[in-house]
Parts: sequence; structure tokens; C-alpha cells
Amino acid sequence: MRFPRSLLWLGNVLLALLWSAAGFAGSYDAPLPPQLASDPDLCAYAPCREVMPGADSFSLRKGRPGYVEAYRIRDEYEKAGRDGRKDQEDEHQEGEREEREHGELIGYVFLSTDIVDIPAYSGKPMVTLIGMDTRGIIRGVRVLKHSEPILLVGIPEAQLDRFIAQYIGKFAGAKVEIGTSLAGSGRIGLDAISGATVTVIAENQTIMRSAYAVARQVGIVKAVPRAAARFTALNDAPDWNAMVREGAIERLTVKPGDLGLPETGEPYIDMYFGYLNAPAIGRAMLGADGYARLMADLKADEHAIFIVANGLGSFKGSGFVRGGIYDRIQVLQEIDSFTFRDTDYLNLYRIEAAGAPSFRESGIFIIRNPAFSAAYPWHMVFLGNKMDRETRVKSFVNFEREYWLPARYLEGGRPAVSQPEPAWQAIWKAKQVEIAIFLLLLAATATVYGLRDHLVRRATHKDKRWVSWPKYAIWTASIGFVGFYTMAQPSITQVLTWFHALAFEWKWELFLSDPLIFIFWWFLLGTTLVWGRGLFCGWLCPYGSLSEIAFKLTRATPLRRFQFELPQRLHDKLKWTKYAVFAGLLAVSFWSMGAAEQLAEIEPFKTTFLVGVLNRSWPFALYFVALLVLSMFTERPFCKYLCPLGAGLAMPTTFRWFGLKRKAECTTCHACQAGCGPQAIADDGRIDPRECLLCLDCQILYYDDHGCPPLVQERKRRGKAGLPLTPIAGNGYYIPIKPVPADKPAQDDVT
Amino acid sequence: MSETHDLPTMLPHYAADNSRMAWIGREIWDHLWPWSRRGFGRHRFLLALSGGAATAVAVVWLLAAAGRIGPSVVIGWWVGWSVFEVLVRMESKPYIKEGPWWGRHYRRANLMDMICYVSFKNLLLGALLFLALHAVGVLDFLQRLPALDWLYR
Ligand code: SF4
Ligand code: SF4
Repeated sequence: MRFPRSLLWLGNVLLALLWSAAGFAGSYDAPLPPQLASDPDLCAYAPCREVMPGADSFSLRKGRPGYVEAYRIRDEYEKAGRDGRKDQEDEHQEGEREEREHGELIGYVFLSTDIVDIPAYSGKPMVTLIGMDTRGIIRGVRVLKHSEPILLVGIPEAQLDRFIAQYIGKFAGAKVEIGTSLAGSGRIGLDAISGATVTVIAENQTIMRSAYAVARQVGIVKAVPRAAARFTALNDAPDWNAMVREGAIERLTVKPGDLGLPETGEPYIDMYFGYLNAPAIGRAMLGADGYARLMADLKADEHAIFIVANGLGSFKGSGFVRGGIYDRIQVLQEIDSFTFRDTDYLNLYRIEAAGAPSFRESGIFIIRNPAFSAAYPWHMVFLGNKMDRETRVKSFVNFEREYWLPARYLEGGRPAVSQPEPAWQAIWKAKQVEIAIFLLLLAATATVYGLRDHLVRRATHKDKRWVSWPKYAIWTASIGFVGFYTMAQPSITQVLTWFHALAFEWKWELFLSDPLIFIFWWFLLGTTLVWGRGLFCGWLCPYGSLSEIAFKLTRATPLRRFQFELPQRLHDKLKWTKYAVFAGLLAVSFWSMGAAEQLAEIEPFKTTFLVGVLNRSWPFALYFVALLVLSMFTERPFCKYLCPLGAGLAMPTTFRWFGLKRKAECTTCHACQAGCGPQAIADDGRIDPRECLLCLDCQILYYDDHGCPPLVQERKRRGKAGLPLTPIAGNGYYIPIKPVPADKPAQDDVT
Repeated sequence: MSETHDLPTMLPHYAADNSRMAWIGREIWDHLWPWSRRGFGRHRFLLALSGGAATAVAVVWLLAAAGRIGPSVVIGWWVGWSVFEVLVRMESKPYIKEGPWWGRHYRRANLMDMICYVSFKNLLLGALLFLALHAVGVLDFLQRLPALDWLYR
């Protein structure tokens, strides 16, 4: 039927609407006041009361890592006039001590970025404000800012709020995980946000580590002591280079560029450090007397490390002069952090080890904590202040280096250490069943398609059950299981993320964190090279399947008479749109990934599967409905003209290894062309592999001697001539009848 | 037979080379060297050159405006070169391979075929080059050069 232009216009208008709607983003991406990160009065810039209900006033930032104390005023009269922040500020300055005397300490409030530096999916941390009472119970959590694309457009804010609310009432020392936890494991499982697993895992670490760090610092949680190291009685005195080689001395280098400063050829800091309690190392570094003196000063569970450094910067910094705390260095052992005060510092005047270079800065630092054990690995952390080139905003960055005493210094060698399982492994384990079913589905699809030659031979253009039934089964699994249940709909945003990872920084964890998508992409890459994009688009894409099912179902109703196909010439022009969309998104992504993610809303996938049409604002819902209605009347309009993912996959399809079969007559016969829903066959009979969705209709016809005109002709000719119908060969023709010479016996007779 | 039997097959002259090694060698050469002696007039060369250069400049400018100097130089160069290569190849080596990569079936390329070929091939080459440079430490060395600092920020 003729193509109703009004529908196309409707589509265009909706598209324009959608793209403008992509600008709607949540409140989480508003910039934060720069003072938030550094001002002593944290609560003047952060909604502390919201996360610490019942608090009337807050102290200035204190401690390392920083936190503020929350007070409730006991006497009502003292509360009068204190509600405004201005008054509070004055009070902070004038009488903090007085307030402490009259107020009751009810908890602590802290900003996650003061404590941990955990990048989420976007590569940026989620700035979170957390309130915890004096028993270590989390009382409130607020995400102040994040840059997670999926949460900015897509998953509604309410879901993030629901997720965050799960932390209220949890103990800071508890082991909290995402997903259901095994009974008896002592861990608490939280519900994730579907489709944002990476984000919530990062946020879980952010909240729990911050809470633990503050709870440790204020003494709510006591660190579990580790078994102390027992040192071997070595008599050798290794020189500097030997100790560096064996790892008794480690090195941590930070370049100016790492901190956003211009490179000068000299490092910002070039630190060497090591553990002095081990007698052989201590003696080598300090000499026998120096070592003996040091050990005499240390108590049983105290540990000395030395740090020496060259470079433009200083590891001592100036912080210790002000607050008595060295704020550039820190020692981490698993979740425990150890900081140093001025009283933990000793001068290191001379390095006795032969071959030691000279250093600009040096010192010995004492860890006074039974939780530390030199038998286990620990990290030296240098805390830098990084200036963002564009925004000029400073933020903390951590540079770490692992140290683990070489086995020969430890009696019995290094103890076995169970490394915590990376987050992605936990996700793979938690999704074992889904992964298995999904692999089965992929294998089944590849097998069915691999057997296509058998299937299409059994089918006819009037009865396509041999092909269509397996396909409908796969479509159903794809829509129900892959799309709605596991939400593993591939998307162009993943392609953009790859290009970025290629150009900037490749992180396997990022891709591994979503197992089904990860597997899907390997399958997609493989099958696209072997057969072309059609295997995914025509058989497995949840949205594509949904779209084609809508068309097929409508065909079974009286509405069928309104179904239409664009004229080939128009189609041949419009099909380029999707490539333009793909190229445009790619270009925009290099300019701004966030903008590209928002524009990628041209894919209705999020609305369909991830978020659900009912959860989305009306422009998205309208776009989804319009596309669906359009799909009922013309086959896969989105796939043919708009889908950037389809376009991205179509391009390498140019080089697929195995194409479809054609015969010489295809150049003039238009039978297949008329039946090709995706309109992939040109007038000259050539199949455009980029547009072909491997529906196999033309392949059914290829072997169908009641459908393919050259075969029909031959069948009729043989019928008239009384010749037998030989089987149809792989080249699409009846096996020719060759008269056997009379003087030779026929092959069959011989065998 | 293949999907594209009916297009005039444009064989590169080495397609029928008997020696397998020689054929592979010529193929590799073809992937790396877009020019051939035939059919590429001087003015067209200049056209392609300016097209490529204009694209490169536009991309670099756009990205630099977004504050990404280092990668933008690489990406801009890559895009510009690819545009240039497409234009050159359409004149000098206007064919692509059809079917399995280990086969010897070539066909005449239309513009879209060539765009797909060049972008895909250059992406692979770029990734390979990157890995190779990384493996031998050239990238680390360059990153440490103060003179190139602006590139890495
Ligand atoms: S074109 Fe897009 S929506 Fe359609 S099947 Fe392919 S990937 Fe899915
Ligand atoms: S009819 Fe043939 S050419 Fe058309 S989409 Fe189906 S398989 Fe591809």
C-alpha cells in the first residue's frame, strides 16, 4: 500500500521531542560548592542535619580522615536562636568547647571523598554524605553528586534513594554486599539497582569503607589484630641495591603530570620506603647501634618504617605543623589505615646501607597499632592534591605502592593471604544460572543458524515453520529472558565506552562487571565476522525481536491492510540515517561522553527494558509508543533507519566471511526482493549484507521449486518432458540429468 | 555462489599469483599502502589531501575545545588520514575482499564499502600499533618526555 506520509512526520516530531527531552537530567549533576571539599566547617556546605537526625550543631572538620561531630543540645534555652547557620558559624568560632560541654555527642557526619577515592562507572567518585551515631549505626546517607550516566538519564532518582535507604540502621563494621549473601557467611546482602550494578557496587564500597574508617578512628570499631611477624635471624647486611631488588625497599614515584602540573623532567616525588623492625633490614639501614636504639624506643606492637625521597614535592608537607598530623602519607593494610602524628616521627640522619643515593627528605615513622602486622602486605599511600586543568578544582588523589616483607626475613616465609575477590568475580558467581541459560541460548541460536541449509530446504515459501518456529522461540527467549529479565540488551553506549577505553584507558573490570553483556559482545563480534550483523539483529536483539513480533502479530489481524513498506528508492536514501546517527554519537562522545550518553536515548532500549516505559517521563514514553505503533505497520522502522548499534554492526558486516546464496538469475528475477522485509535486496538482485537481517526468506525461496522462478520453470519443463526431478544441489539448481554413454555401465550398477 | 556474483569483479593484479607467500605479501602491502600507479590524477590527490587535512583540523579543534589536547591529536590524525585514504583508494585501489579473509575473491568497492574497510582496518592497525608501542616501552618513554607533556594532559 502507499506509504502514509503523516506517520513519518509523526515519527520526526517525536524524535525531535525525544532529543530535547534528553536534556532532562536529575538534580545529582549540579556542581557542588568548591568549599565543600576543604572548608573546616563542612556542615555550612552540606546538609548534615539530613543525615544525622536530631543533631543541633556540628563541630568543625577534625581527624584524619576528616569527619565532624554532631551534638544535640540538652537544654532547650540553649537551642534558641541557633537554628540558622550564621549563628552556628559564630558559635563554632567562639565557643566550640562550651558547646561540647553543654551538648551531647550523638554521632559523626563525614563526606566520602574525604576518606576514600573509589571511582564509579563514570570514573568519578559518588560524593556521599554519611551520618553515623555513636554506636556506629548509620543514620542517614545522601548522595550529593554523581556522574553516573545511567542514573542521570534513565533509572529514576527514586531508585537510587531506595538503594541508599537500605544502609540506614546498618552497623559500620558489618560486611555489606550487593546481592543476596550466602546464609552463614556473616554478610548482609543489599538489593542492587537493576542495570546499574557497577554503580551500586562502587557506592557500597564508598559508604561502608568511609563508615568503617571513621568508626575505627573514633574507637567504635576495634581493629582485629593480625598475627605478628616473627623475623628470621639473618646475619647478612644487604646493600641498598640488593634491598631494592628483593623488595625490602620499595619505590613510589609521582610525576607532576599526575597531579595536573607541568612536567619538568623531575618527578614530583620519588619515594623509597621500607620496614625497619626486621633486624637485617634495620641493621643494614641504621647500623647495628642505630637499630638497637630504635628498637629500645619501640614497644612490642609498634612498627618503624623509613621514607626517603627526592623530587619537587615533599612527603612531610606542611600539614603536620598545623594539625600535628602528616597529611601526605598513610599506610594501608586491607581496610585499616594508619596515619602519623608529629609524635610518631623520628629523624633519620644517615643511611648506612652501601650504595644508597642521597635524598632531600627523610624520616622514620612509627605505627602504634596492634592491628598492623609486617607479616602481611601493606600499602604506602601518597596523598596528592590534583588540580583539574579545566575547572581548576582541586581534588585528592591517592598513589599507592604495595610492600610485603620478602619471605627470607620472615620465619616460615610469607603467610598465605586470601586476596579479596574482585567485585566482578562476585557478580559472575552470583549470576551463574543466568549465565548458563544465556550461553545455552547463544549456542542454540548459532546452531540453528549453522543448520540453515537443512532448515531452508525443508521449508517452503508457503510454510516456513522449519525456520520460523525456532526463530520465534529464540525471539521469545530474547525478549523475555535477555531483555526483560536480565536486561542484557546491547546498546550503542557500550560501543562508545569501548572507543573511549581504547583511546584513553582500557579497564577490563569495567567490561567484566556485566557478565551477560560481556559474553554477548564476544558472541556479537564473532558472529558478525562470520555471518554478519544479521544473526544478532534478526535473531537475538531483544528490541529488534519485539519490533518484528509487533509487525507479525499485526499482520494476523485486519489491521494488516494498513501495513506498508517505504518505496525502495526512499528506503535506499533513509537507510543512511542510522550511519549518520552512529557517526554523530561517536563524534559527540569524544567531545563529551555524558552528552553522547544522553543522545543515545535515540535507542528506546532503556525505556523498553531497563527502566520500563511506566517509569519514564512522557517524552520518552511517547517516543517508545510511537516507535512501537510504527513497527506494527511497517517492519522494523527503528532497525532500518535509526539504530546506531545496527549501523555500528553493519559496518564490519562488509567483511563477513560467509554470505548468502544467490544464483545467476537473481539479477533479473525480483521474487526474493519482493519478499525481503528488511529491503536488503537491490534491483540487480545483489544483497546488501549491511542491511540484511538474515531472516532466510530468500534462502527458502532459493531451494523452493514452487517459489523460485528458475526452479519452477525447470520443474515444469521436466514434468512436460517426462524427466525425473533430481534433488536440488547446493548451487540452487536441480542436479542435471546426464545421459550415461551406452557402452559404459551406470555408476549405480557397479556399486 | 556469493551474494555479489553479478558485480564486475575488479581483481587486483596479484589475485591470481600462484605463490601463496607472494600473494599474502602483496595483500599486506595493499592494506598498508593505499596508492597505486593507476588512475590518480594530481588534482584529485590534492583534493583528497585537503579533505583529509580539513577533517583532521576540524576534529582536533573540536576536541581541543573540549580540553583534550593529547588524544585529540591522535584521533584527529586518525580520522583525517582515514578520510584521505578512502578518497585515494577509491581512485587507486577501488576493490575490497568478498567472503573469507583467506579467500581470493575481490569485488569493486562502492564508497560505503570503502569507508567500512578503511575505518575498520585503521582501527585494527591503530590498536595493534598501540599495543606494540606499549609493549616495547615507547609510550612510557614518550610520556616521560617533558617536551611532550602538553600531549598527555
Ligand atoms: S538494528 Fe538495532 S534494534 Fe534493530 S535488531 Fe539491530 S541492534 Fe536491534
Ligand atoms: S530476505 Fe534474504 S536478503 Fe532479505 S533480509 Fe532476509 S535473508 Fe537477508
